Amino acid sequence: MKDKLSRNLREKVLRLAASTGTKYPHVGSSMSCIDLIIETQFFQMKKNDKFILSKGHASLSLYVVLNKKGKISDKQLSTYFKEGGLFGVHPPPTFPEDIPLATGSLGHGLSFACGIAKADQIIKNKARKIFCLISDGECNEGSVWEAALFASHHKLKNIIVIIDKNGFQGIDATSNVLGDAASQEKWKSFGFNVIQCDGHSYFHLEKAFKKISNFKNNQPSVLIAKTVRGKGLKSIEGKMESNYFTLNNENVEKYLKELE
Amino acid sequence: MRITFGKYLTKLATKNKKIVLLTGDLGHGVFEELAKTVGERYINAGVAEHNMSTVAAGMAYTGMMSWIYSAAPFVTIKVLEEVRNDITYHNANVKIVGLGGGFDYGMLGPSHHVLQDISMLMSLPNIKIYAPAVAEDMIPIMDRMVKHSGPDYLRLTKAENIPINFPAFKAVRNLAKGNKITVIVLGSIIKDVVAGILPVLKLNKIDLWVVCEMPFKIEQKLIESINRTKNLCVIEEHVKTGGLGEFISHSVVSSRLSIKRFTHLFATGYKTHHYGYRDFYLKENGLDQDSIKKTVTKLI
Repeated sequence: MKDKLSRNLREKVLRLAASTGTKYPHVGSSMSCIDLIIETQFFQMKKNDKFILSKGHASLSLYVVLNKKGKISDKQLSTYFKEGGLFGVHPPPTFPEDIPLATGSLGHGLSFACGIAKADQIIKNKARKIFCLISDGECNEGSVWEAALFASHHKLKNIIVIIDKNGFQGIDATSNVLGDAASQEKWKSFGFNVIQCDGHSYFHLEKAFKKISNFKNNQPSVLIAKTVRGKGLKSIEGKMESNYFTLNNENVEKYLKELE
Repeated sequence: MRITFGKYLTKLATKNKKIVLLTGDLGHGVFEELAKTVGERYINAGVAEHNMSTVAAGMAYTGMMSWIYSAAPFVTIKVLEEVRNDITYHNANVKIVGLGGGFDYGMLGPSHHVLQDISMLMSLPNIKIYAPAVAEDMIPIMDRMVKHSGPDYLRLTKAENIPINFPAFKAVRNLAKGNKITVIVLGSIIKDVVAGILPVLKLNKIDLWVVCEMPFKIEQKLIESINRTKNLCVIEEHVKTGGLGEFISHSVVSSRLSIKRFTHLFATGYKTHHYGYRDFYLKENGLDQDSIKKTVTKLI
């Protein structure tokens, strides 16, 4: 069931990206984290939980999931990348219930999540969980580590960071740029409960979230999800260019076939 | 002003349980009482201002009113992107309190001075900027900040006594009447202006105004003053670009006021790279009492 949902929403991402006829929608990044967003949004989040997409450039994945959930209408979504439209490449501030922060510049989401979780802690709102999806490249940002220190020190146990670890960042592999900033050791040393799993296997993702909910300490948790950039598009999976190729109405059918 | 700030915030936060204070590891001697009184709502966020600014936005998202506090450059220039993206763009209820506007930190040097805060923040949406002239302005300003559900910036400086009568707080106040020149001053450098021109202030030649809130609407009486003297002088402890001088000159042009002379005294920065107290930097920038006295006297 989840695999079918995943396939259908991937198709929607591709069609929306193709409607732009440009390389801007960051398809590779959207494909690497869409399973994480599906698992979180449909199967982990409860009514008042919050989800922050800190890697805002993967917004297409979030838009199609929120559309499927009925939070964004078809009509609204059809304005994506259109002049005067409601949705651009990075998320807007106009859907605050479901998109709490208009991200785009990396390294902001986790701090914002900390703000919500800290306020909840003060007013004794214990039930709500705050999910924050960041990328491994984003872990280059110093502010991510400022936020990690804050979350850990303040024992913001309701924060669940999900790292979309696809091994790439802007224009190179993370290993060639600043090394593995999303390593287990680093997050452990910052006081997080750490779980690692395959970020495209719903079986393993479900188990990972279960383990996180079983942690009995007061520390925040991080799920380091091993993913593949461009996952599902066989010809460009795991390649740098999966984020920078132009989809249009002519070539989209070829990529749609790869999803089968 | 910072002591008044700490005391009054304690009072406000005792009543209003939504108020939370985040400090960037500053405020020794200021927040002890607040910390004792409000408990968890006082947070030392550490030397991590980027995180602190966005945490404040996240807390505001839940309905809290977050106040962030540090040296002025560290909650403005250093975190301009967080202020832009996470606070002002979302119209978040975050109050930014910057300690040491202008050259106030003196001997601590340029890293701790702030000469560009007003221009940077004026370029952002939804935010109101306050530059108190005297310590008595603090309470009415903080009351306004609490009332405004959106971002505000408070430029704190050292409070000094000023030997003239100050009317109750308003965004723009007339301090002395005169018919030769209209002098408009931003915030607490009014002390140096008054000290410089005090002997001539009684001659009814200088129409003296102080501005403590930006942006503001130029009131009719100020327009009348400019029309009467046609001789306008703006003084601010801030760079030329984007501060009070440019705001006023833009207003003069767009209101089609005709003036004969416009003089702008502003901060130009660091000529010698030598250190000193605030007065040393004011002198280097032609903003000290003597320089102001000479300039204004010449213009009368």
